[in-house]
Amino acid sequence: MAEKIKAPRMRIKRRIKKDEIFKVKVRFDHPSFTGLGMVDEDEVLFNRAVPSTFIRNMLVYYDDELVSRFRTSSAIADNPLFTFKLKAMKEAPVKVVFVNDQGERWETSKDIKFST
Amino acid sequence: MKNTASTIAVLIAALAVTTVAYAATVVEEIEIEGMVSPASPKALSAALEEQLAVKVLGYNFYGTANGWPTVKVEYDSGAVSKDQIENVIDSTEDPTGRPYKVHKDGKQIHLALLEEETKADSIFAADTPDIPKVSNPIPASAESNTRGEKLYVTYCSKCHGMTGNGAGPSAHGFSTNPRQLWAWHNADKSSDPYLFWFITNGRTDMPPWGVILSENERWDLVNYVKTIAPPK
Repeated sequence: MAEKIKAPRMRIKRRIKKDEIFKVKVRFDHPSFTGLGMVDEDEVLFNRAVPSTFIRNMLVYYDDELVSRFRTSSAIADNPLFTFKLKAMKEAPVKVVFVNDQGERWETSKDIKFST
Repeated sequence: MKNTASTIAVLIAALAVTTVAYAATVVEEIEIEGMVSPASPKALSAALEEQLAVKVLGYNFYGTANGWPTVKVEYDSGAVSKDQIENVIDSTEDPTGRPYKVHKDGKQIHLALLEEETKADSIFAADTPDIPKVSNPIPASAESNTRGEKLYVTYCSKCHGMTGNGAGPSAHGFSTNPRQLWAWHNADKSSDPYLFWFITNGRTDMPPWGVILSENERWDLVNYVKTIAPPK
């Protein structure tokens, strides 16, 4: 695997009011490769060429409660950026967990604190 | 003196017989990583045949047991060892610059889900489908099977494999195993709605083919899937 995997990073805005709907952006530098090759041009069939590498799941926790799950496949981009919305119900951490197709796991989290 | 000479002669003869007995023609299939382009098989064959007394009998890209391509080689076990062949494969580069590698199953095809993924599946997975009882309007004729086979090769074989063994090249790394389709070999008509529903709607890693294929095409696929026989 030529590309390096970096820990995921999360961005949310600083001032969040209670019950506000806010955006969460998560960037994860992880390569994505189907592992397929095509040795036969006439038949146009793909064969397995090298081991695949891709993110297979992204799990979103809000106050340790699983609130969303993104299932992804080898069609996902290299170093994807995910953006989704959450409703600020309580002051609690938002945690995002990534798992790749080899079962390796990474996580990032940020605390939600209401501005006065 | 005469006895010593005859003993040596017997020993030499025995050694010759032993050598003949151990040197045998071996045909072996080796799993290969790095077959990325149309030039790959030719380059690997050339490297093996130039560097060792090995004859490359052919390649199998689509019908292998675990989905990895194999090269079939024939060699004289007295002159060449399997280790030598594997060393040549590992030290040869594809024309695109990638190295070939003997696949030793360092990474499994389908790895188990983590505990938290399984928990997420149990929370978010869809309920058991309520499959409508529809009947197959296309008779299971040779024409329908031919049409179905063509569609199968184009759309389904990438994951389910050319032989229906569930180890197609694209299935590598899926969190769910593609079904081994010979489970429906010679199934009766009661399986038709179930197969049609799954082809139409998909599930887990399987996409909903109802978006892409017409209804008749999906029924042709149902007819063809029922002809896929298990390996002997």
